[in-house]
Amino acid sequence: MRIGFNYTLGDTAPLVRRLLDSGRIDYVELLIDNFLSVPPEEMAQGFGAPVSFHIMFSKFIENDDAALDSMAIRLRRLIDLLKPLYVSDHIARFNHEGRQLYHLAEIDYITDYEQVRCRVDWWQQKLGCRLHLENYPSIMDGGRDAPHFHERLHRDTGAGVLFDVSNAVCAHLNCGLPLEAWEGIIERSSHFHVAGYNLSILAPHLVVDTHDRMLSEETLGFLERYRARFNTAGSTMTYERDDNFVETEIEHDLDRLRDLFDRSSVEAFDAPRV
Amino acid sequence: MHRVSDSRVIDADLLDSLTVPARQGDYARDSRAFVRIDTSLRVYWHTLFDICPGLLELSGPDGLAIFRPFMTWADEQKLSLNWTYYLWVDVWLQQSAFRDQIEVELRYALMGASAARWATGDRSEAQGIVLGAADLPNLVCGWKTVTLEGGREIEQIELEAPLPTPDGSHGYFLVPSRSLDDGFPGWSPIPR
Repeated sequence: MRIGFNYTLGDTAPLVRRLLDSGRIDYVELLIDNFLSVPPEEMAQGFGAPVSFHIMFSKFIENDDAALDSMAIRLRRLIDLLKPLYVSDHIARFNHEGRQLYHLAEIDYITDYEQVRCRVDWWQQKLGCRLHLENYPSIMDGGRDAPHFHERLHRDTGAGVLFDVSNAVCAHLNCGLPLEAWEGIIERSSHFHVAGYNLSILAPHLVVDTHDRMLSEETLGFLERYRARFNTAGSTMTYERDDNFVETEIEHDLDRLRDLFDRSSVEAFDAPRV
Repeated sequence: MHRVSDSRVIDADLLDSLTVPARQGDYARDSRAFVRIDTSLRVYWHTLFDICPGLLELSGPDGLAIFRPFMTWADEQKLSLNWTYYLWVDVWLQQSAFRDQIEVELRYALMGASAARWATGDRSEAQGIVLGAADLPNLVCGWKTVTLEGGREIEQIELEAPLPTPDGSHGYFLVPSRSLDDGFPGWSPIPR
């Protein structure tokens, strides 16, 4: 398992460099569309480490074709030059009736399916690569439809899932979606995300995906239970932190991930995947 | 006030409520829908007051004297809440009970916040944006990052020879390269 850290904009560059120097991470996940104005040659020098691309604001389901065509040309140039470990994007609603949703909304996995399928086909063609699409940290009941949606989307478009382990835990705690419902997807996926989440201030039995604290015991337990299935050839696990950058906490979490997957490599020899 | 049941509610059912504080009361306080709407509204709140804390000096520490009426007005006006979010807050403040308490520095802070939001969120090939206000002399520019380890830059420019005044409360123009040498292309009205 290669372990990485997300990088969104300049402030955390020194932290990323320290994590690379200490061997805690093996690659850097770039929130790539934040850097489309950076000359490609500068991007190629980068952190001197492998990179992956996480596209945040293509809004490829709802954005107009001309804007996406322009973005795709610039993204393809970077994909060709930097050869990322994977390219990922988001399935979510970014706008509602012309109004920007700052906390992205979850799509209706049933009624929106055909539209999303067409756009995934189209966006993959434009980017010239296979996309990995992240599962949403559901609060509401629609989240229960997500695993089947992603399986169907994979079957129809070839798109992979960037399986966010802690998002699945959020959906489990919020809408009762069993973690086991993702087994088929974990089995087929190679690229994973993991992060901390927080209890809702108003209703502490609910959780909100915040990326601002350490991994929960539920998340670590999930990783432990399925560690051999996560830890396959070429697999990656990106640790996300977007706020409250307490370096000792981040290091501790990364060390726990490293221990867990180093151990699973040894055990996996005697315990074939089921 | 009607109460909406919490049985089988999906995110799409809540879309009309995610930006309107008054609609949160349609749901029971202990329901997931209430929490979901609250989670959405908090992001708008933090996006406003974390970036422009000077607003809290007007509104009081919870910000609600500005936040709630502004979001209601934004809903009525069908504002997009895109990068112009802060500029429309300025417009709303000018017609609110706070209008006589607004310092020029706060107005430039709101313009800077909008320029920064454009510089981090815009995905076009433009490199910069220039903002002007009809009743303020200086321009505010926002530039996208040009280095991997850098960030967006915001600057306030004092002109020797002023530009024409924008027709509306504010105007903007985009800059294709990191320079203002190409001259003034004219003001575009800020999007709603």
